Amino acid sequence: MTGRLIVQDIYTAYDRADVLSGLSIEVVPGTITCILGSNGAGKSTLIRSILRLTPPRAGSIAFDGITLDTMQTHDIIGLGIACIPEGRRIFAKMTVEENLRVGAYLVSSERAIQMRLAKVYETFPRLKERAKQLAGTMSGGEQAMVSIGRGLMTEPKLLVIDEPSLGLSPLFVQENFNVIRRINETGVTVLLVEQNVNQTLAISHYGYVLSQGRIVVHGTPAVLSADAEVQRAYFGGAH
Amino acid sequence: MGTIGQHLLNGMMQGTIYGLVAMGFTIFFGVMNVIKFSHGDVLTVGAFAALVAVWATSALGMPVYVQFIAAFIAAMILTAVVGAGISHFLIMPLRNAPPLNMLLMTMMVGTLLREAIRLFFPNGTNPQRFPELLPAGGFSLGRSFFRFDALILIVAGVASIGVVYWIINRTKFGLAMRAVAEDVETARTMGINFARVIPLTFALGSLTAGFAGTIYGLYYSEINYGMGLLLAVIGFTAAIVGGLGNIWGAIIGGYLFAGLQTLVVAAMPSMSDYKNVFAFVLIIVLITWRPTGLLAERGSERV
Ligand SMILES: Nc1ncnc2c1ncn2[C@@H]1O[C@H](COP(=O)(O)OP(=O)(O)OP(=O)(O)O)[C@@H](O)[C@H]1O
Ligand SMILES: [Mg+2]
Repeated sequence: MTGRLIVQDIYTAYDRADVLSGLSIEVVPGTITCILGSNGAGKSTLIRSILRLTPPRAGSIAFDGITLDTMQTHDIIGLGIACIPEGRRIFAKMTVEENLRVGAYLVSSERAIQMRLAKVYETFPRLKERAKQLAGTMSGGEQAMVSIGRGLMTEPKLLVIDEPSLGLSPLFVQENFNVIRRINETGVTVLLVEQNVNQTLAISHYGYVLSQGRIVVHGTPAVLSADAEVQRAYFGGAH
Repeated sequence: MGTIGQHLLNGMMQGTIYGLVAMGFTIFFGVMNVIKFSHGDVLTVGAFAALVAVWATSALGMPVYVQFIAAFIAAMILTAVVGAGISHFLIMPLRNAPPLNMLLMTMMVGTLLREAIRLFFPNGTNPQRFPELLPAGGFSLGRSFFRFDALILIVAGVASIGVVYWIINRTKFGLAMRAVAEDVETARTMGINFARVIPLTFALGSLTAGFAGTIYGLYYSEINYGMGLLLAVIGFTAAIVGGLGNIWGAIIGGYLFAGLQTLVVAAMPSMSDYKNVFAFVLIIVLITWRPTGLLAERGSERV
């Protein structure tokens, strides 16, 4: 099984101040690894560092033994990483189907694309009904489905997800977690950033808690849910 | 003096050329938010490349249809290379610069191209005769006379507009282009190499100008080093009128401008020297009425 991501002692800054300082994580193949942390902790910056949208200024990152440190974003994606970005970032002026096809940009066989389209439509029947609609005119929740579906159009080794359920109704949030779990069961390694701590820990195998650009706690869901730090951050104090 | 049929044909021909030029402006703007003012001079470069290709192939004694095809191919290849070069060496490095600086830079590059033709092309200061490669003659329909060459060029021009439209909306490259146009960062996280897509986009937008320049030479039988200037202003106007960034808008804008010109010529033959003045005045009124262009930016039409 592949999809091992090793982030080692990275420092990432936007302008001057480091947003991530000396951060290390490891995503073990076949697992769902979650990143928890309050707003502004640096979770999205970690993802941007991995994809080198905001390259770290120090430290190193490797995926399946290949160093990403000199690579360009599109080549990193080409290694078998797919991304469901924060804030959906759908292509509003394209149809739903075109959005999904951009997600399959690196898939060259039309047959494979058709099969994956069918799979995504099976997961999100609403997208099939609206395939020819401009994505920008979809409802917020529907746009979230487009964004998630787009991330599923390749069969990646590692799927990186940044708060996919933001703005979804509770029912759909649960469905969304089920989708992530099912994807993982097909052998896809998942790195998940989420705010719904209970549901996230319920499907994760391992987790890291990020605070002010550093990992403060990490461990299995059982360890994390018992941890005082997590309690304080998410449940309003220790019990 | 002319008949309705001739006016129609002439207007269609001009509209096709303007539409092709406007498409380039709209593609560049859609993808990089730049107004690339060297576009008209790239068209001139294309027309001169076509001329050289015709000279070369006829010197080699090749048949006329080969000369005809060589003209288009040479124009499109050279303009594609120039367009990709401008994007790679100028627009990409400057993409975070203020738009006005970019506009200024592309104007300077345009001047550079124009002056290079004037100074270095043999006898470049004077207009060059462009050989007539298409069958002369035509046919009459009622009181109108239709020139064969005009019909052929219009069909070729409309077909090329169709091909560009198809590339943008129906191919994988077009999809990548539109993704980059909408959100570069997300496009990159989908595996799109924007550093390659952007020069290719500029190559595409530029070779439509090369195509238009060749049509111009074949139709008017004369080209000159400054021909791109007015065509750029008209093409840019057409793109603005249609709603910058909108492909359909650019095409419609091109035909609209040609239609206005033709209307002036047809209605007031004595005033035909002022056709551009009248057309621009009408455009000014139009833009005052619809400041964002005729077609509000809409959906998948935008690149
Ligand atoms: N483009 C940027 N330029 C400058 N600073 C930024 C930029 N993006 C993020 N930051 C800063 O970096 C810090 C971490 O932001 P980040 O988006 O990684 O947080 P996050 O953990 O994802 O938060 P959230 O849960 O709200 O999404 C914040 O202080 C933020 O203000
Ligand atoms: Mg975030």
